[in-house]
Formats: sequence, structure tokens, C-alpha cells
Amino acid sequence: MADEIRTSKISAIGGLARSFNSALFSDIYSTLIGFLSGTRSFYIILSLGVLTVFVASISGLDAMRIGYRHAYNITREIPWGIIISTYIFFVVTSTGLCIVSSIGHVFGIKDFMPIVNRAVFLAVVTIFAGFSVIFFDIENPFRMAIYNALSPNLRSNLWWMGTLYGAYMFFMAIEFILLLLKNHRFATYAGLAGLISGVAAHSNLGAIFGMLHSREFWYGPYMPIYFIASAVMSGGAAIIFFTWIGYKVNNEKMDAPMERAIEVVSKLTAFMIAVILFFTAWKVVTGLVGSPPKREVIKAMLVGPYAANFWGFEIIIGMILPFAILLGTGFRNVNMSFLASVLMIIGIFFMRYDLVVEGQIVPVFHELGVNEYRGLLHYLPSLHEIMIITGGMGIVASAFLIGERVFNGHKSEGH
Amino acid sequence: MKRIYVLYLFMAVVVLSLNPDTISASGEAFHGGDILYTRPLKAVLFSHRAHVEEIGLSCEACHDGIFEMSALSVQEKGDFTMESLYEGRYCGACHNGSMAFSSDSQCARCHIGVKGYKRLSQPGAVGEGHRGD
Amino acid sequence: MRLDLDGLKKDPPESIPAIERRQFLKMGLVVTGVFAGGTVLSLISNIQRVFASPEEFKEKYPYTPHYSMVIRQNRCIDCERCLEACRRTNHVPPYGYRTAILERTIPDAIGQKREFIPVLCMQCNNPPCVRACPTRASYKHRGNGIIMIDSKKCVGCKACMVACPYNARYFNEEKRAIDKCNFCFDTRLSKGERLTACAAACPTGARTFGDLSDPSSDVYRMVHQIERPVWVLRAEVGTRPNVFYMKA
Repeated sequence: MADEIRTSKISAIGGLARSFNSALFSDIYSTLIGFLSGTRSFYIILSLGVLTVFVASISGLDAMRIGYRHAYNITREIPWGIIISTYIFFVVTSTGLCIVSSIGHVFGIKDFMPIVNRAVFLAVVTIFAGFSVIFFDIENPFRMAIYNALSPNLRSNLWWMGTLYGAYMFFMAIEFILLLLKNHRFATYAGLAGLISGVAAHSNLGAIFGMLHSREFWYGPYMPIYFIASAVMSGGAAIIFFTWIGYKVNNEKMDAPMERAIEVVSKLTAFMIAVILFFTAWKVVTGLVGSPPKREVIKAMLVGPYAANFWGFEIIIGMILPFAILLGTGFRNVNMSFLASVLMIIGIFFMRYDLVVEGQIVPVFHELGVNEYRGLLHYLPSLHEIMIITGGMGIVASAFLIGERVFNGHKSEGH
Repeated sequence: MKRIYVLYLFMAVVVLSLNPDTISASGEAFHGGDILYTRPLKAVLFSHRAHVEEIGLSCEACHDGIFEMSALSVQEKGDFTMESLYEGRYCGACHNGSMAFSSDSQCARCHIGVKGYKRLSQPGAVGEGHRGD
Repeated sequence: MRLDLDGLKKDPPESIPAIERRQFLKMGLVVTGVFAGGTVLSLISNIQRVFASPEEFKEKYPYTPHYSMVIRQNRCIDCERCLEACRRTNHVPPYGYRTAILERTIPDAIGQKREFIPVLCMQCNNPPCVRACPTRASYKHRGNGIIMIDSKKCVGCKACMVACPYNARYFNEEKRAIDKCNFCFDTRLSKGERLTACAAACPTGARTFGDLSDPSSDVYRMVHQIERPVWVLRAEVGTRPNVFYMKA
């Protein structure tokens, strides 16, 4: 029964390309039946996801009504908070999913092929979630659409980032549709275009920070490079995480090629953990001999108010434990790889938060020695902000679950 | 911003603890306490303690020749300006560069600004200390 | 060198200023180092900039008028008339400010232990905010070099706030845009006034406003002399501000 529905669904999507005939509607009907036949826990999780999106929308609209200054804990001195860091978290993951999937799909490494469809789908979903949360951080989001086109500042990394990510989302969506249509030749081109625009957009996101020469902690070529490296780590973690859950949702067992794919992604991800550890170590060591504002941040990170985030979440949960788990199981235990991916995703969320907030905690006039700015500045997210970012996660969770049902566990490959 | 208020509060406490003449054990100020001038502009803090105890001036050195005993009454006079001080009146009688530092130098030594005024006029802080009236 | 504080205390009042003056002179460099904070280095680079060769002159002051402000820091007494005038003139809401006065206290300094430092937008020649803005809502005026905001283009991404090394910007909810000091261009200068509201309101001459491209202006004369040090805030960032600081 289930197999019949799946077959008809695939033909439905194939039919989409040829013509909108009456068969399509019967296929949509059978897809709906298949969707409704899901398990109870599936619907509980899906409802939770949809609920958080609903609550986030209410929170976001309320924040717009009362003004972000009142709703969020951002200040004149710390204008970027957890919404920006969560936006970065999502787009880092999206870019990573694109890069890792391109290894199989664009560069033709066979072992990566089984994860491609799901990765491309999730890349679109996570970038959409990112745009959704940042929508509630930008004061005039509708002006952005107009003046980004009418009055571009070609020297602004932010302009390039926004524009390139727009193109990226478009190419990735096209790639996903072409993958569903099994048009692999054009899907590869779309994938390549997505990869190029994604990497360019993402390094520009890093450059937004890296080119702020008044912010010692961020300034320099480190940021764009670090952002790309950490994207690959995030993408790998996300693929393991969602593939594992996808198979649980569909109540299926992984076949040999998929297990092999998880193994190679685990290896790649473990390698990227090592790269990020290396990056982090040198960031800390160079910062210790840097200018006073930079040293203040490094101090706050190592032994100050951000030490728990840094050592606990970023280093131990985000990198050391997953690396040990992956290495200890020889990358072959899918369940343990999943556990490692959960830890990494938690750790990476804190990496983004700390990166954004720590860059702003030293007041610009700190060195002037004035009474107003002797100490470090403080920021903790407000309830509105937390609700909005939770909604972003709700978008990813809901779209992922619906995607698993509608696209049949993303197995159009090789069936 | 909250942090700055805490800082203000802290500094108010420091100022109070450093100026034992603002409040004595019995609640009386010594030698007229601190005088906080707010006109013609905010704000100047005059310390009786610094002038009487540390420098050793007698009451008669200023009262009633230069300043009336009644604190802040000088603010009502139209000529209580920096120009008068430069001409040797009021504070300028001593702060002329030879007896004490000139009144056209070290501005922020006497002028505590609106920031200083706000610190001193916070609830609990004894700011407009004209107890010696 | 050591200060005999006990001896200083016992001296009759008449001798205090003389001793103090001598101490100040002796401490010369030390005091400058302490009071100027990290800005001594910037003053050196500033002198190089100010006394550039004549060929560079045109490049240095590319605007006519080249609006500038010189802040004689030692004259500021934090009466905050400038802040009130700014609020009134430019309709600055209570939750924001275009200019502020910072306070530095040095408890172990001799004599004066307190300094007030007015800050505002430095109208940089190399402005990080303008580069950060995605929609050119922040721009440097081609005629006079003032950093201005085109409110209708501002998307409110706050990148310029993070980019500014001087904390000169805030989001104005009434304008739905970033707001900042523009040397009162729309409210005063464009209406024929010669001074900004803050400079006009200052009773001590702490803020001098003028045209740096005009050799007869006060700001020109203050910046183009070597007797007294002139510095800029956070010179290490390389923004080349048009607000200068000195003590005179």
C-alpha cells in the first residue's frame, strides 16, 4: 500500500514537468492520504513545530507593534543580538548543506550521492528559516526589498550577502526541483550556481564582521575563511542529524549506500572539527597578544562571563565530545554519529551567539578610560527574541517533517 | 543604561563616604557642609571641609565679606558669573592664580557638571547641603 | 619624582598654586600620558596629517566648506547646555542622543581629578558606517563632507551602528531610520546659521565649529599650530575624523 502511494507520488512530480493533467490531482490526493497515514509521534512533533512558528509570528508582530527597542534586549551599544546570531546559524547550516551535497552532486563523488536530495531540500529550508528570523530584526524589511535594488552600495558586504543569498536560495530551489524531475544535468548546473553564490554570500557574511575595522575582535581576513570552514562542519552535522531522524520518521532501515554516505560525511565532519579547533586555538593565541580591546574579549571568553559558553558549549559539547565519539566508533556507528551531530549542532549554535555578542561587549570608548565605559557591556536575549528564534527552528522542523512525507524520504535517487 | 545608573549610584556612595562633613554622626554638617551651586549653570560643588580643615581657612576669611552666611544666596545675584570671579569677586578673591589656582584654570576641579549634580541629588544622597544656614 | 603630599598640606594657602604649578610642569610627559589616555600616539599622526606638504593640501580638505569641530576638552564643564540645544533643535527623542559628554575621573591626579569629554559624530573622511550601509542610506555629502542619512532608504539593519567606532548612532523610531549628528545641517546650516546648535549653546567655548578649508577660520588656526597638541579619538582605527580635540 505504502509503496504504491510512493510510486504514484514520484510519477506525480514527474508529471508536473510534462503537463498539468488530471492525473496530477489524483496524485496529490493520494499524497495527502499517505501523509495522513503517518504515526502519532510524527504529528505531535509536527504540531509542536507549527505551534512554535505560530507563537514566533505573534511575538514578531508584537515586537513590531511595540518597537524592537522595547521588545528586544538590544541596545545602542549592542545592536546585534541572538536573532542575528541565529540567522547566521541557519545560513551557515544552509551553506554547509550546499557544500557537502555538492561534493556528491556537483563534483561526482559517488559516496555522497544518497544524501544529496535531502541536503538540497534542507538547504532551501534553513536559508528560508534564516530569512524568516532576520525579518524580525530588520526595522524596515519592506524598504530593504526596494532599496536593495534601487540604491545598492557595492562597497557594502551586507548588500552582497543579501543579494547573493537571494540568488543562492533561488538556485537551490531550482536545483531541488530539477533533482525531483531527475534532470541531473541541469540540476548539476543549478547546484554549481548555488554553490558559487552560496560560498560567495557566506564569505561576505563573514566579511561583514571581518571588515569592521573598528571592532578588533572581528576585524581581519579570518572571519570569511572561518565562516566557510565552519559551514562545512555545520552542514555535515545537519546532514547526519536530519538523515537519521528522517529514517526514524519513515520507520525504515538505512541501506548500505546510505550507511556508507553517513560514514564519509562523519569523516568529513570530524576533519572539519579538527580544522575549527585549530582555527579557534590560533584565534585565542593571537588575540592574547593583540590590542587591549581584543584581549578584553579573549579574557571574557576564556575566564570571564563567556567562559561557560566557550569551554562548555563551544569546545567540549560542540567539538571535543563529538570528535571523540566519531573517532571512537570509527565513523561506522550511525547512531553514535547522530549523537555526535546533536552535540555539534548545540555547540555551533553557541559558537554563533558568542561570535556575534562577544564582538560587541567591549565598548568603543573603553580605551578612553571614561567612567561610562569602564566595564564590559552585557546582553541577554529577551523573551520576544527567544520566541522568534524558536520559531525559526520550528520552521526547519516542520518543513523537514513535511518534506520527509511529501518527498518520500528523499529517495528518488536510485529507486 | 542600567549599568550606568548603578555606576552613578556607586559613585554617589563613594562621594558621600569621602566627604564625612556631608553627614556627621549626629546628622549635623561640619563647617557648613558641601554647597552645591546650580546657577547660573549646573553645577559647582564647594567643600567647606577642603577649605576649612585641609587648608585651614577661618570662617571670617570669607564670611560675611565675600560670601553671606546663608548658603546659595549668592546665586540670586546677577553678577555671580565667571567674569566677576576673574575680576576678583566671590571665589575669585582667592582663586586668582597667586593665592589659589586661578578661576580660569582647572575648570572641572570645581565644576562637577550635570553628571555630578545628578549623582548628588539622587535619593539618599545629601546634595544641596546648606545645613549650615 | 615624588610628591610630598604632607608638606603640601601644611603649606599656607598662598604657596599651593606655585607648588602645584611646578609639580605639573615637572610631571609634564607623565601627566600628558595619563590624561591623554591612549591618544598621545594619535596626536603624532595628526600632526603629520595637519602639516602635510602643500600638494597634499587639496586632497586633505576635499570639501568646501570642509566642516569641522575642535573640542577644547579642558573647557567642558558638563553643563549640558549643548545636549539640551541638540535635543531641542534636532528633535532628538529621550531614548537617544546625537552628542554626549563622557566623564573621566583620575583619583590620584594632582589638583583637578575630573575631565569631561564631549563626543559626537566625527564626520570621518574614511567612514566605516558609509561602507557598511547596504542601501547608501548613510552617505558622505559631496559638498561639505558631513555624514548624512537618507531616512527613507534606511532598512534598519544596524550595521552602521556596529561599524561606528564612536557610538554616534541610534535608531530613531519616529523617523523609522538611524539618526545621528549631521552638524545641524538640515536644522541650522542650510538655513543660514553659521554654528551648530551645540557650539552656539556652549558657554565656555569648548566646542568650536567652522570650515577647515578656510585658513582664516578659528578651527583652521587651532588645528594648524604646533604649540599645543591636537588629537583625534581612536586614531588607530584610521577613520580620519573631522572632530579634533585639544586643551587650550
